[in-house]
Amino acid sequence: MLKSNPGLALCILIALAAVCFALFSGEPYYVQVVIWVFANAVLAVTLRFVLLIGELNIATAAFFGIGAYTTAVASTILDWSFFASLLAAPIIAGLISALFGWVTLRTKGPYFLLISFAFTEIVRLLYTKSDVLGGNSGMIGMFPPMELDAYFPAIAITLLAAIMFGLYAAERSNLGRVFKAIKNNEDIPRSVGLNVIGLKILCLVIASTAVGLAGGVNAYTNSVIAPADFTYFVAVLALAYVKIGGEGHIIGPIIGATILTLAGQLLHSFGPYENIFYGIIIIGVLLLVPGGIVGLGERFKAGTFIGRAGR
Amino acid sequence: MNDTQTDTLSAYNTGSEGKTLLKAEGLERKFGGLTAVADFSFELHDGEILGLIGPNGAGKSTTFNLISGFIPPTSGTLSFLGQNITSKSATYISRMGLIRTFQHESLLSEMSVADNIIIATTHRLKTAAARLERMREMAKLTGLEDYLEVTASSLPHGLQRMLSIAIALAAEPKVLCLDEPLTGLQGAEVKAALDLFEMIRSELGITILLVEHNMRAVMRICDRILVLNHGRLLATGTPEEVSQNELVIEAYLGHKK
Repeated sequence: MLKSNPGLALCILIALAAVCFALFSGEPYYVQVVIWVFANAVLAVTLRFVLLIGELNIATAAFFGIGAYTTAVASTILDWSFFASLLAAPIIAGLISALFGWVTLRTKGPYFLLISFAFTEIVRLLYTKSDVLGGNSGMIGMFPPMELDAYFPAIAITLLAAIMFGLYAAERSNLGRVFKAIKNNEDIPRSVGLNVIGLKILCLVIASTAVGLAGGVNAYTNSVIAPADFTYFVAVLALAYVKIGGEGHIIGPIIGATILTLAGQLLHSFGPYENIFYGIIIIGVLLLVPGGIVGLGERFKAGTFIGRAGR
Repeated sequence: MNDTQTDTLSAYNTGSEGKTLLKAEGLERKFGGLTAVADFSFELHDGEILGLIGPNGAGKSTTFNLISGFIPPTSGTLSFLGQNITSKSATYISRMGLIRTFQHESLLSEMSVADNIIIATTHRLKTAAARLERMREMAKLTGLEDYLEVTASSLPHGLQRMLSIAIALAAEPKVLCLDEPLTGLQGAEVKAALDLFEMIRSELGITILLVEHNMRAVMRICDRILVLNHGRLLATGTPEEVSQNELVIEAYLGHKK
């Protein structure tokens, strides 16, 4: 299977290299940057996963936060073990997303987008109003157990990479084809016996479970979480990664997240002007290369690059 | 649920020919103040090709949407294979084996021909190999076997029409409802399509409900015809009876003075 798919083989190699780097480099800052790259890539990949059915899911940010808060509550308040706390994150995020999807995915038009936006902000406000969850200052003290501490970055990278490979496999399966069919013209799958609303909910639940696990990993990576980490802006940045990298293939959001996360590290010195840079990049890419970097690559492959750029 | 459905199906398969598969009683649908279909009753018998004709705006498409569960009726009842399906979902009804095509946007335009057909096999067939095999069969039946990797929207119009039929057939219908399948087809294509419908009925044993504007084709292929006008059943009978019916002639050609 890997022989026929060199791109996948390369991605597995890169993931293994990142795990080795985390284990042996002894450079905590750079290891941290690698984890951020992987976490942002998961955010972008999960946002894109719901785009497969044609819905822009701002609540990607909310389910990322729900995962993080679930792990934080499980480990610091309930004193659950490391792995149990991590496992709780995707389960709770998945369950809440099933309920959320069951209510919202019956709508047509822009309503899902608007409701997912409102949901994200409401969930964030709930954190700030809750004393148990630490209010505005959030929660602190999510540490991996001592004996695992040295390996935690490697574990985090492995989990985040596994999420992306899992979503890639889901998209390549018949389920991925069905999701794309729903986006293209949902009357057709409905007319041949498919439960379109149920499948839309399933798509949202898969993505939210994935991003919930990433949220749990995030809680342990940072040891501190706060409501401000989970605003709608998290999803907006993820959308920027998707648009810049290209929406046509799962590697697009991964490339976009990598470039912008690394660029962001260099741009921190600009302070608040950082966001202007993101804005310029997004507008530039949307105007000049609507298919993102992946779209550009495909044009090169098809040999139509010069023809199109000349227009 | 699956078991009972299979039982019902097999009971009907062994039944005598001419058994009622689909039955509508007093079907009515209003859109605000407009009555699209009113007091419409009919039966679809096993093994027949039943035509549904009428001038533009007569309520043919609304009827299709009602029986396939895409919109619920305002009043009236529908039963399929002896089971009441009034207000059942489109998913439920298509799983029972009543499959419809669409007059417009009848394809997954951005996907390949192969993917279009495979989607329709998804509910019945659970392995990739079985789906591929059925997809190839349906593509061959409809003359699409050389276009499997072509994006649906770039197919010539005639083949797009064939693809919408291939999609419906791949879902293993008991009753196939075709919504103006001949629109935009040329002479030879019309003949090929009619031959295909005959084959679907005689060799695959699928009952057909056909909405069509091409009168010559309808007269040639249908066993019985229902004529709708202003949402009401105007006449019913064999092609010959219908074509000589004064009311039908009036509806199509205008009032006699």
